[in-house]
Amino acid sequence: MSAQSEPATGWGRVIDEIEETLIAVILGLMTLVTFANVIARYVFNSNILWALETTVFLFAWLVLLGVSYCVKKNQHLGVDVFVLALPPATRKIVTLIAALACLAFSVLMMIGSWQYWLPFFGERAWYETDDIPAPEFLQLLAPYMNEGERWSKLPRFIPYFVLPLGMTLLTFRFLQVTLRVLQGKQELLIASHEAEVSEAMDAHGETNTETDKRG
Amino acid sequence: MEVLVLFGLVIGLLLLGVPIAIGLGLSSILFLFMYSHASLAGVAQTMFDAFAGHYTLLAIPFFVLASTFMSTGGVARRVINFAIDSVAHFPGGLAIAGVFACMLFAALSGSSPATVVAIGSIVIAGMRQVGYTKEFAAGVICNAGTLGILIPPSIVMVVYAAAVDVSVGRMFLAGVIPGLVAGLMLMIAIYIAAKIYNLPSQPRASWRKWAGSAADAGWGLFLIIIILGGIYGGIFTPTEAAAVAAVYAFFIANFVYRDMGPLKGDGETGPISVLKKPQALITAWVHPDTKHALFEAGKLTIMLLFIIANALILKHVLTEERIPQAITEAMLAAGLGPITFLIVVNLLLLIGGQFMEPSGLIVIVAPLVFPIAIELGIDPIHLGIIMVVNMEIGMITPPVGLNLFVTAGVAGMSVMSVVRAAMPWVAIMFAFLVLVTYVPFISTWLPTTLMGPEIITK
Repeated sequence: MSAQSEPATGWGRVIDEIEETLIAVILGLMTLVTFANVIARYVFNSNILWALETTVFLFAWLVLLGVSYCVKKNQHLGVDVFVLALPPATRKIVTLIAALACLAFSVLMMIGSWQYWLPFFGERAWYETDDIPAPEFLQLLAPYMNEGERWSKLPRFIPYFVLPLGMTLLTFRFLQVTLRVLQGKQELLIASHEAEVSEAMDAHGETNTETDKRG
Repeated sequence: MEVLVLFGLVIGLLLLGVPIAIGLGLSSILFLFMYSHASLAGVAQTMFDAFAGHYTLLAIPFFVLASTFMSTGGVARRVINFAIDSVAHFPGGLAIAGVFACMLFAALSGSSPATVVAIGSIVIAGMRQVGYTKEFAAGVICNAGTLGILIPPSIVMVVYAAAVDVSVGRMFLAGVIPGLVAGLMLMIAIYIAAKIYNLPSQPRASWRKWAGSAADAGWGLFLIIIILGGIYGGIFTPTEAAAVAAVYAFFIANFVYRDMGPLKGDGETGPISVLKKPQALITAWVHPDTKHALFEAGKLTIMLLFIIANALILKHVLTEERIPQAITEAMLAAGLGPITFLIVVNLLLLIGGQFMEPSGLIVIVAPLVFPIAIELGIDPIHLGIIMVVNMEIGMITPPVGLNLFVTAGVAGMSVMSVVRAAMPWVAIMFAFLVLVTYVPFISTWLPTTLMGPEIITK
């Protein structure tokens, strides 16, 4: 991982583990659902109706939940040559401005996301997805949200919830980053090229070395 | 005028060290505040639609995952052995084999840096052992690695197809011949250099040995048949092909090559037979190696797609403000012909490629130049290949060429010396760019022959 992210201890490690597992599980589910649909079509001559829509929503969950993790681990790509050429004092100011820009982005996106999502939760709670069946437990909410009418398909406010959730988490992470830049604990907002290289090498070789350590 | 403000904002933010995705998104939001009445909720919706409305982009996580499973050390080693047994007896043989191995690996992976790491970390050391200079080895691999995005499957092509609504299948087919031509040009240059500098060649491998290494590499290389055959045979959509490829790569890595997962033996015993450990059929799915591959692929997907989603917001702003149309009219009014237009596109992408991640740049530039290209009668598929080749060159030219940094890491050289080492080979890629730009036939012949003429909607 990038040298600049703080080593996780205790609770930090638990949160890391949850986020990393979520990323892996969502991607795994997307792949299996799409694969299962191909198998269903050719082997069982049928079609999993909800497969495509579910995969598309999982895709949104993967990325929108994952961005805040990547901010925490300092993984996002950017141009570092100019910032690195600055003297340290100036660099700190420039990075602080950059951090504030990121914070501005995430706050604006957060506001927009809640504005976009709340109607789906409130007056438009009847608005359903096209193909995904609604789970039974959800019907318990129907008297309060859907004027007592059962949902025949999963209501949209559920898959769309990742938008406000993800952007709120992103704001939280950028708030942390801004503080760390202020305290002088972090020098760059983006993955430096050295980090990218070691990252690429890790992705290539790590599966082997890790099993070696265990074995 | 407005468009200058917008791009000024983007470049300014990037130079401050803002992540590319945020730079694109924030510029778009600020631009909307200044010049239009769009709401923040609308921007949020565009962000969500990047995923929910672009089924094509869904192929990216699956291709990344397939490539992650294929990037375990064993696949690269088998591909390299096969390449060496095939071509290493020519003068400059090991270097030619390195290029060949990069071409083969490019057919398994959609990314250039991944190709350089997988092939370079083995081949560069091997070349030095038989007497090549470090510079020669690094220069060759750094350039050949860029074929990763030209030879299908290619993430950059998926992005182009999604950005301008052309068929991914056509783009993939269109990349085949240019990929082969670029590889051959590099090989011929090595052959000539080998004759002049008297570079070493390896003994010719016996047919038996060749057949053995071909069979060994075949399991991995079958992936390209699944992808291309599946798409053109009408069996899968490109997205499904990518998902099938990912599952296939998982099986090959876990149960055939056994470089990862429960059947990977410890150093002495070698891989374990699945008959001795049948529970592996279940445990492989939840093995830590599998989780690690899924996580690494997921992380790369998140970074790429967040850039693409924000680039799509910017694209949305551009189309709302009718900026592509304004540029098209201005360009056509200035009497721009196809040849000058293509030079402008080349320059724009070469400069842009110095600062931007290829996928993001394509999402932004493609909709700007696409309408002009259609007016001028340039084939959309041809335009796509030109863009991809430009991105390749962007990856091997300073200051921000990603392949340069990756090669420097793999070869243990400074970035500046890799830049110098890569220079003569970059000249070949430039010659190739000119060839691809002005001979559309190279790109369009294969897709038109196999899939029929293209219907272009203006």
